[in-house]
Formats: sequence, C-alpha cells, structure tokens
Amino acid sequence: MDAKLLILILNGLTQAAIFFVLGSGLTLAFGLMRVINMAHGALYLLGGYIGYSVAKASGSWVLALIVGGLFIAVVGWIFERFMLTRVRGDDMAETLLSVALSMIIADLCLVFWPPQPITLNVPSDLNWPVTVFGVTYPSFRFILMGISVLIAVALYLILYKTKLGAAVRAGVDDRETVSALGVNIQIIYTAVFVLSALLVGLAGVLGGSYLQLSPGVDGTILTFSLVVVILGGMGSLSGAVVSSLILGQILSFGLAYAPQYSYFLIFIPMAIVLAVRPQGLFGK
Amino acid sequence: MGNEKLLRTIFTVAAAAVLVTLPLFAGQYTITTCLRIMHFGLLAISVGFLIGQGGMVSFSQTAFFGFTGYVIGLLGLERGLPFPLPELIGLAGVIVTAALLGMVALRAYKIVFLMITLAIGQIFWAFAQQNTTLLHGWAGIRGIRPPVVLGIDFQNPTYLYWAGLVIVSLAIFLLWRITKSPFGLALNGIRESPRRMAALGYPVYWLRLIAFVIAAFYAGLGGILAVYTSGIITPTAIQLSRTIWILLMVILGGASYFWGPVVGTIIGVWLDVIISGITGRYNTIIGIIFVIVVLFSPNGILGLIDSVRQNQKFSRLRKYLFPNASPGKQNRDPYERR
Amino acid sequence: MSKKLIAVLSLIIMLSMVLSSCSTPTSTPAVEEPEVSDAASAVDGEIKIGMLSAFTGVFSSFGKMQKEGAELALKEVNFQAGGKKITMIYEDDQLDNEMAVTKAKKLVEQDKINILTGLVSGDEGLTVGDYMKDKNIPVVVMYSASEDMTMREFHPMIVRPTWTGAQSMDVFGYWLATEKGYKKIYAIGEDYSYPWNQGGGFKRGFCRGGGEEVKTVWFPPGTTSDFSSMIAAIPLDQGYDAVLYNGAGGDAVNFIKQWAELGMTDKIPLLGQSNTFEKPDLDSMPSAIVGSLSPHHTADNLNTPNWNTFRDKFVEAYGYPPSAASEFAYMSMRMMIRAIEALDGDVSDPNKLVEAMLAVDLSDTPRGPVTLDPELHAAVQNVYIREVAMGDDNVMFNKGLFTVKNVSQFGPYDTELYMAQPIDDNQYPPDLCSEFPAEMLEAGNTYEFVPFGQD
Repeated sequence: MDAKLLILILNGLTQAAIFFVLGSGLTLAFGLMRVINMAHGALYLLGGYIGYSVAKASGSWVLALIVGGLFIAVVGWIFERFMLTRVRGDDMAETLLSVALSMIIADLCLVFWPPQPITLNVPSDLNWPVTVFGVTYPSFRFILMGISVLIAVALYLILYKTKLGAAVRAGVDDRETVSALGVNIQIIYTAVFVLSALLVGLAGVLGGSYLQLSPGVDGTILTFSLVVVILGGMGSLSGAVVSSLILGQILSFGLAYAPQYSYFLIFIPMAIVLAVRPQGLFGK
Repeated sequence: MGNEKLLRTIFTVAAAAVLVTLPLFAGQYTITTCLRIMHFGLLAISVGFLIGQGGMVSFSQTAFFGFTGYVIGLLGLERGLPFPLPELIGLAGVIVTAALLGMVALRAYKIVFLMITLAIGQIFWAFAQQNTTLLHGWAGIRGIRPPVVLGIDFQNPTYLYWAGLVIVSLAIFLLWRITKSPFGLALNGIRESPRRMAALGYPVYWLRLIAFVIAAFYAGLGGILAVYTSGIITPTAIQLSRTIWILLMVILGGASYFWGPVVGTIIGVWLDVIISGITGRYNTIIGIIFVIVVLFSPNGILGLIDSVRQNQKFSRLRKYLFPNASPGKQNRDPYERR
Repeated sequence: MSKKLIAVLSLIIMLSMVLSSCSTPTSTPAVEEPEVSDAASAVDGEIKIGMLSAFTGVFSSFGKMQKEGAELALKEVNFQAGGKKITMIYEDDQLDNEMAVTKAKKLVEQDKINILTGLVSGDEGLTVGDYMKDKNIPVVVMYSASEDMTMREFHPMIVRPTWTGAQSMDVFGYWLATEKGYKKIYAIGEDYSYPWNQGGGFKRGFCRGGGEEVKTVWFPPGTTSDFSSMIAAIPLDQGYDAVLYNGAGGDAVNFIKQWAELGMTDKIPLLGQSNTFEKPDLDSMPSAIVGSLSPHHTADNLNTPNWNTFRDKFVEAYGYPPSAASEFAYMSMRMMIRAIEALDGDVSDPNKLVEAMLAVDLSDTPRGPVTLDPELHAAVQNVYIREVAMGDDNVMFNKGLFTVKNVSQFGPYDTELYMAQPIDDNQYPPDLCSEFPAEMLEAGNTYEFVPFGQD
C-alpha cells in the first residue's frame, strides 16, 4: 500500500479515537436528558490542562490521564447536583447554565495556565517510532486508538450488561415512562452526566497529548463533538463509533489535500444528514 | 394612572434628549461605546425576538450579522461598489440565506433546532476562518470606511452615531409594530402551543420561517453598523463565543420582554468598559452573573424589576434556600412567557 | 413607585456611562479634519505609551517577550525620560484584528496615549496601522513584519526600527541557492500576510540565486493542530532539496514534533522561517532538528559587547536568554526614550516626535548596528544565517553561521521597482522561478556573506 495513503488512514483513525471519546459521553447525555452540555468543550480543555500539570509535576502520563478524567467527573457531578437539579425539567435553563459554566471555566483556565498553546509531554517510553508496512508511525497514536477501543468496549458492557445501562437505554427511548415505572430517574441522570464528564476529561488528556490545548480550543471541540453526535444520532453509541470513523478520515484527508476547507468538509456529512435524516444515522 | 403615564413620558423625553445631544458633551470613547451598544443591540434584538416572540433559540444570528459585514467588505471595499449597493445586496443576501437555511432548520423541534442553528453558525465561521482566497481567513477584511452619503461624511463618528441612532430607533419602532400586529400575536400563539395553532389553521412552519427571516434581517442590519464602526470584519465577529455572549445579554435583560435585549446589551457593554479597566476576568464575572440570573431571576433584569414591583420579592431565592418548603415549581416558563 | 425606580436607575446608568469616559469632548460636528489628540497629558508631566500586543493565543509567547524587552529598557531609565514619567498601558488584542481595533480605540480615545507601540503579528500591524492613519499619533512597530506598513500602506506616523518579513528571507533564499546549490524547495506555510511576505522574500532571493521552484502549500493558522496528514502528503520522490516550514509559535512546535515522530528528520533537511526556531519555542522541540537552518536579525551566540551587556541584563531580570522579539522591543523602547530625551519631554507635536525618533543614533543596538531609512522609516541592519545547535548545557540554541550587513527592506532591489510589484500573497510570487518577471531576477547589488563573528 502506498505509504502516504497508509499514514493518512492511520491519522484518520487517531482522530476518530479522539472524536469517539468526545462524542460518546455527549450523545448519551443528550439522548437521555435532552440537554446539550455546552460546557463540553470547556471541560475538555480543563481536563487537558489538569493532565498537563499532573504530567509536568509527576512525570507520569498515565497518572495525568486518570487524574484528568476523575477531576472532570467530579466537576460534572458538582455541576449536575447543585445547579442542574435546580432547574431540572427546564431544557432551556439547563442548556443556558451549561453555557455559563463554559464561559467561567474557559476564562479561569487563562488564570492558571499559560496563554500560548501547550501540549502534554508524552514520555518516550510510550512514544517510540513503530514501523508498519514500511511506514514510520509514532506508537503513542496506536496507544490512543487502543484506549479509545477499550473505552468503547467498556461503554458497551455498561450499556448492555448492567441494570443501569438498561435503564439508560430505556430512558433514551422514553424517559417519561421510565420514571413512571418507578426507576429513580434522578440517579440515572446523575450517573450519565458524571460518566459523560469523565469521558470528556479523558478526551482532554488524550487530545491534549497529540493536539494542542489553548484558549479557543473549547469552541472547536464543542463543535466537533456536536457534529459527531448529530451525524451519529443522539443517544446512539454505535452512531458515535461510525460517525467518528467517518469524520476522522474526512479530517485527515481534508488536511492533506484541502487544508483551507478542512473544517468545512467535516460539516458536509452533518448538513446532509440534517437535511435528509435529522435524527442522525443511527438515531431514533 | 395619569401619574405613571406622566413619569413615563418625562423619562422617554429625557432619555431621547440625552441620547441625541450626547456627542456635544460626552467624550469620544463614550460615543464609540454607544455605537457598540447599537450594533450589538440590533444583534441582541434579533436573538431576543426569536426567543421571546417565537420561542425559538437560534445560534446562527451572529452568522447573519457577519454576513453583511463580509458582503460590504468584499463588494464595497474590494470591488468598489458604491453605497447603497453593497448594503442592499448584503441585506438581500441575508434574507435569502435565512429563508433557505430556515426551511431546513425549522423542520426540527426546539433543542434540535438549536443544534442545527449552532451548526449553521459554525459552518459560516469555519469557512470564514479557513478560507483565504476569498474571505482572507483569520485576517479578515480591513480598511472598511463608512460612505459619504448626500454630502455627509459618515466617517465622522458623531454623524455615524446619529445615523445609528436613527436606524436603531426606526428598527425598534418597526419591531414594536410587528410585535403588536396579527403576525406577532400569531407568533406568540405558536410559541405557547404550536399544535393548537396548527389545528386552528395557522401555517405554523411558514410563520416561523418569516420570523426567522425578520430576525436575520435585524442581525444583518446590526452587521452593517458594526463593520462601519470598527472598519474591519474578521471571523471572530461570528465565532461561537460571540454568539454565546449575545445570548447571555438577551437573557440578562430578560428574554420575554420587548426591551430586554436592549437593556441586556447596554449592561453587557457597559460592564465590559468598566471591568476591563480593572481585571481581565470579564467572562468569569459575566458567567457568574448569568448563573445567578438563570437560577434566581430567569426573566432577567427586567423580570427582577417586575417581580419586585409585583411584590413577589425573591420568591425564587426563597425556594432555592428552602426547596422543601414549597412543593414543586410553578409552571412559569420564563423563556416563553410574555 | 417602581416606575420611578426604573427611571432613576436608568438615568443613573446613563450618566455614569457618560462620566466614566471622563474626558473633555474632542469631536465637534462642524470640524471635518482629523482629531488632534488631547495635549493635556504631556503638560501634566506624564507620557503615556500604549502597548497593544497578542498576550493570548498562538503567538502569545512573542507578546510576553515584547513586554519584557520593553520593560527592561524602561527600568534602565527608571521609567523616566526628559523629566517626565512614562506610563505604560498594556492591552491584549488576543490576536484578533477586530479586538485590536477596539483596544486601539480605547487607548487613543479613552487613555489618550502619546505613542502606540507593540504589535506582534503581521496582520495586527496592518490593521492597527490602517486605523491609526488619521489619528496623528506615532506608531512604533515592535515585531509586526508585514512589509506594506513601511511600503505600500505607509503613513508618516509609522516608525519601524525592527524588520519586515522579506528582509531576512531574501538573503536566506539567495544563500541556499548560491552556497548550498539547492534547486527545489517544498514549503508549508501559514496562510496570512506575514508568512506570505517571508515566502515572497525567500522566493525572490532563491530564484535570483539560481533556484528553480519553491512549491508552497498553505494552511489556516491556529486551527490545524495535526500536521501529520500534511507531512504525509510531502512528495519525497520528486527531488526536493529541503522542506521549509513557514510558520511559528504553537503551530511550529506541533509541526516539528510530528515531523520528528514521523521519522522525517532522516529523510529530508528542514528549514525554518525567521521565527520558527526562536526561543523559547525551540526548547519544546525535539533535539532531532539540530542542524536546521533559519535566518533572522539576531543569533543566540552573538558575542559583541552591546549584545552581551543586553543579554546579561535580560537574564538577570528574567532568568532566561532573550530572543529576537525581546531585543526588538528593548531597542524600540530605547529609541523612544532617547527621542523623548532629545525633546526634553515635550511630546506635544507628533511630527517632531517622529523626527526625533528618526534622528536617534542606533549604532549601539544589541543585535548589530541599525539605521533608519528617512523616507519610509524602516530599518537597515544585519542579517544572520543560523543553524540549530546543541549547547554544552544540553539546551538548543541558534548558532550564527554567516552575516550580511546593511540589508534594507528592499533587499538588493530598487525601491520603485519593488513597490511596483504586486503585494505578496498566497498566489504571488509564483512557485516556479521561470514565471518570475525578468527584472526581478537581476539586482544591482548582491549580498556579501561574511562568516559569523568576523565582521
């Protein structure tokens, strides 16, 4: 296979890995609670920055990943428990609160972290050149893909093998009936929201290790996450997988052949889906 | 009550007098700030009209705002089309674009509509940000100057200010008429209960589309004023954070009140001037104010004044502190009530 | 009762808005001439200098360096010149041109500055320069290098004792074609005015020196974090002698990291634009790029008395060595201070202020002697060709290889001929040297390359 083509496909897969982790949490939260967490991008940024500081202080990337994810999960829990519950049921207010949260978080990041773009340093024992079919590719990107696959598998297991997962899937389909059936919908909401936050925190550390973290990235990340969710279908995990793969390849090839339109190209499948099948590829 | 009417008239006259004579006694920077309030005010009106009257939250108004700016830059500055051609083409373009995009977007219900408009706004932004051949990408188009019309040189900020005052007043007046017209009332009905309105025979989809186009027109108008004030159009004019900021201004003022967006913009810009002299943390402060507003006074500042007047003093605050005392929320939906 | 409340509240708000700008009116409807800035501040014994830079965003490290360099110069004179106190007002335009205009307005209209300085990226400079056209306030450009500020969009209030994009790259291209014998270069550039200018200068020098092609691919700056696809698209089998990365800041760090990760350092030489390998960005780059070349007006191992004094003072104040942006800001500030001194602190006449700046002796500038062209207020100075080298302390630095003296912003070209050409953008100059206009391929004076340190 042509070396160039192989690298482009691998780049697309790396990008898809990040897209999936970003989109999976958002799609579940949206599918269940009908709330777009507009702070998704800001939480990504915060998670990445936290991971950066942890990595710098401890030298351990794995620790940075864990701490980054958990920290954002806690932030998500606090936000959900103390602010979203107050306006539960009012979709607009919930969305607006998350908007406010995104502004505050993004601004506070400027206080604690440098204003120029930074990247997490990946230690060289995780990042060595791997030769695949005659092409040199950094091992770290394969690790990224691997982590993403693990996350996908874990999510599937939770969703299809646990009671919580069953309740979530039922709630995505029809939340009124679920709460009428006596399931404590509040706990489910909180669990899903915290899970979504954990995932975006992890995405922040993963993404921040190979892309850049800087003020303004939160807006781009939010947009990408929304595209993944709209294309894949709200509430659908398989949708998130498929749309991540598609969008990853589009971004990779777009950057190689038409960098001036790389973002624009990502919006095209989304626009097509919105016009033809607004619930997304796999949505209901 | 004669007293109230008298007070209101005095207030209006005094306010008008101050606004008209402002350039004669105020500093240059105040005029600049007022111009900013004007063009952002038009954008806020655009957003507020859709939310308050039509019950639709749209994230693509900023894109329409920037659209006219780019048209003026591309046609007026770069290709030399004289006033008022680029402006009219810009506004026509906004109307057509809004109609086309609205037809797609309005097939969806509330939250999905929001996402679609968000996506539309971002598509415009991405194109402006990355495309250099036509739109000059991140650098934008600079050197845009207000025209000379009928011998009056609008590069003079005072004249531009007065022109802006006239335009904004006319626009607000026009909106007032639209709001009170049968169309406006039908829109309110659709906001409350679209199914009932449809059952009554109103063409819900088309009425919403018209509202969307009207709002886009206002945004485009604001964009024209903006580009003449700042002399430059860049992708930052249509980026997501700008959209969010305008939404915040509208909610801050009170989305369901006619004057809400304008009040919100005045406060927002004024706060910017004051805060930026002290700290760079404007966004954090605004964000916190916003959280407080959404939680305790979702009808914004005007809503707060209203509830103080109706002696429902801080009832939400009471409910927050003692949530168990009063059973459940009352069905007051502040984003849809008028 | 509450209607009154609203009325009173709104009147208070409006009044405070009016009063918060706290100044005397400067615009009257009848007068159509450009506004003259309030002379009150000079009489008060205080001189206000506004610094507008990108302190946030992809080039923010340059903004920070600018502030540090300027403050070093100010500290040397205790923030005083000509008997008056100098007050600096810093504004962050967040690398957004619209914000730059807004902040410039604030500095000019509200703060009533006497001099505007700062400016990091090319477009900031062009935008602010355009806004300041009729404001009658001197603009001292510290880093923004888009050449048109001192060429096609020049106005007499602009003073640029620093550089233009093409100035050093023309020398670089010429050197690569004549000394290294390169014929074909593949360039990846950030798509805005400053890299266009750098690329333009590079192509001119390169083609003049006998090169054949500089194939250029442009990408939108700041939004492309993943360059691996672009790197993969580089055709390694078409005889390119080197790859030129025409970008800087956060993008450059990312590009180079990914360049090394994809194993390109062994495959083809890497060249940088002037800013690509500047410190402190260089410190974040992998050591595999040792040997990469770039041109600038400073080199980290300069060893002249002027440079050493400056460098030692800088290290003492901030703990790390200075780079070009810091030096540029330092000497610009020093020039302003000396001009104010020469006028005994009277900055009320902007034209006299500009004249005084042009008359300042800049021969003791740390990076090398500088003279200002009296027509277009641009700098004539040294260019250094540098190579990334590993220091004994295991820290990379830019080692000077060759010096060329007295390079003007027009390079070896005649002024009229140069300005008659189209503006550098992403289509011009053409990638193929064969498509160049013939008169641009010959030039009266050519460069004299002196080995570094022997001039």
